[in-house]
Amino acid sequence: MADKPIQGEKRMFVTGNEAVAYAALAANVDIMYGYPITPQNEIMHYFTRLAPKFDKPFLQTEDEISAGFTTVGGVMSGKRSFTATAGPGNTLMQESMSMAEMMRIPTVVVIMQRGGPSTATVIYSQQEVTMTCYGANGEGIRVVYSTCNHQELYDYTIKSFNTAWKYRIPTFVLGDGYQAKMRESLTMYDPEARGIKMVDTYPLVGLPGSPGVDRDPAHLRNTYNTEEELYEVVSNLVKDYEAVAPEIVESESFDCDDAEVVVLAHGVVSRAAVEAVRELRKAGIKAGHFRPITLRPFPDKELKAVANQAKKLLVVESAQGQFAKLVHHSLYGDSTPMEYIFKPGLGITSDEIINKVKAML
Amino acid sequence: MGNLVKIALAGEGGQGVQSVAEILVEAANEEGKEALYIPNFGVEQRGGVSIAFCQVSDDKKIGSPKFEKGDIVIALSDRAIRRCAQYVDENTVFIYDTSIEGAEGDLPKNAKKVFGIPAIEVAKNELHPRVFNIIIMGATIRATQVVTPEQAKQALEDKLGYKFEQNPKLRELNYRALERGMQLVEGQM
Repeated sequence: MADKPIQGEKRMFVTGNEAVAYAALAANVDIMYGYPITPQNEIMHYFTRLAPKFDKPFLQTEDEISAGFTTVGGVMSGKRSFTATAGPGNTLMQESMSMAEMMRIPTVVVIMQRGGPSTATVIYSQQEVTMTCYGANGEGIRVVYSTCNHQELYDYTIKSFNTAWKYRIPTFVLGDGYQAKMRESLTMYDPEARGIKMVDTYPLVGLPGSPGVDRDPAHLRNTYNTEEELYEVVSNLVKDYEAVAPEIVESESFDCDDAEVVVLAHGVVSRAAVEAVRELRKAGIKAGHFRPITLRPFPDKELKAVANQAKKLLVVESAQGQFAKLVHHSLYGDSTPMEYIFKPGLGITSDEIINKVKAML
Repeated sequence: MGNLVKIALAGEGGQGVQSVAEILVEAANEEGKEALYIPNFGVEQRGGVSIAFCQVSDDKKIGSPKFEKGDIVIALSDRAIRRCAQYVDENTVFIYDTSIEGAEGDLPKNAKKVFGIPAIEVAKNELHPRVFNIIIMGATIRATQVVTPEQAKQALEDKLGYKFEQNPKLRELNYRALERGMQLVEGQM
């Protein structure tokens, strides 16, 4: 049996899907559940190749409904479990993930967004933002990390297990088909070697002793009889979530201090935004970039501070305003003029952003 | 050529452009450069035009994975020529295979430079059809200079070493294909 998937640190040149499979193993995941769908297939593919060396099992289920629920089951039994999916598979997983929200099951799901609606393309989009943040019947009691490169896919896959188990909130890593399929360099590491301690896992059911006699009952419920009872439960979920949100929220800003136009983007599109801002600055144009890393919880305070300073905002995304809705909600009452580049299912380059910013000046 | 080189390789499914791209960026990464490669992919399992988008930079992290215009665009079939017109502007060097019939009318008019190389013919008549893509790799390396020939050979060794072990003649064939590819571009840039 091999010792650890990554010893110390190692520069790698791989696809994003491989980076996720390695990260899960480096995070000492116990099991992966999954059902194949492009563009995340290779997460499963590499996991099933690598995992047996570390005595970690994989279960292929009959569909994504089952993959989601088996992940919930794995977590309930105390195992650090995850699954990965995309597009229509993400749709099918919403049912199990709303159960995870209700029962505070620390599941981890990696999403590689593809085009939508329906089967659409297997390639790329940012059209799973609303669904990943707020899918299913619930209040979006979730953590969603939107990554922009392979290093972050690796970092946040590891981190998502700790966020999920520390706060008992279902956690998502939101990538996309580009990140899944492209190859670029990153540094993989053994979390322990960097002083990252994996949060302990524990069973949520089948605990020793008699409930109500030797210990409190676990009370893992997703069904309630009265409106008032449900209201109390959901209110507490929301209250707990809001209490920990400031600890979880993450964002990044780039050249925003004196910026006339701040480009708002998330995920892989922020790479184009950074490049655009660099070029615009070279040309003497004061542009900046703000990027939420967590889409849930959303960095409201940080974005407001940026919006207060900026003359104009430009929201850029590979969807028809799903990210912009989060921005609008966050900036309600702010009067900074806002413009948009919406390209559902299509990649966005720095040139498009540069031209738009110039047109806004 | 600036710090960042953008390369689009396009051919018919099965011509091996994706493996060329993969070996090329591996080599660049081994040289300590930043490289990014993304295949275009659709629901079709085979056939159709296959495009590999590669970017290599000396040091800085690369921006968006796909780009609007390439520095070097290599098209290896008639459909690939037509499909790749969109990646060409006045800074693009456009390379195509001379054996593509009726290509002239479709070649881009706005490129910095357009020229043909007889890669398919060389593969068929001089070497072996199976090293066609390695000829293309040689041509790409010579045209872009994103990696040294030595590093390219090492990358081939890393990728195909196990096959070379079984049949050392394959190594020689691949190395010759790489060099022939470089020669085809020699003096044309």
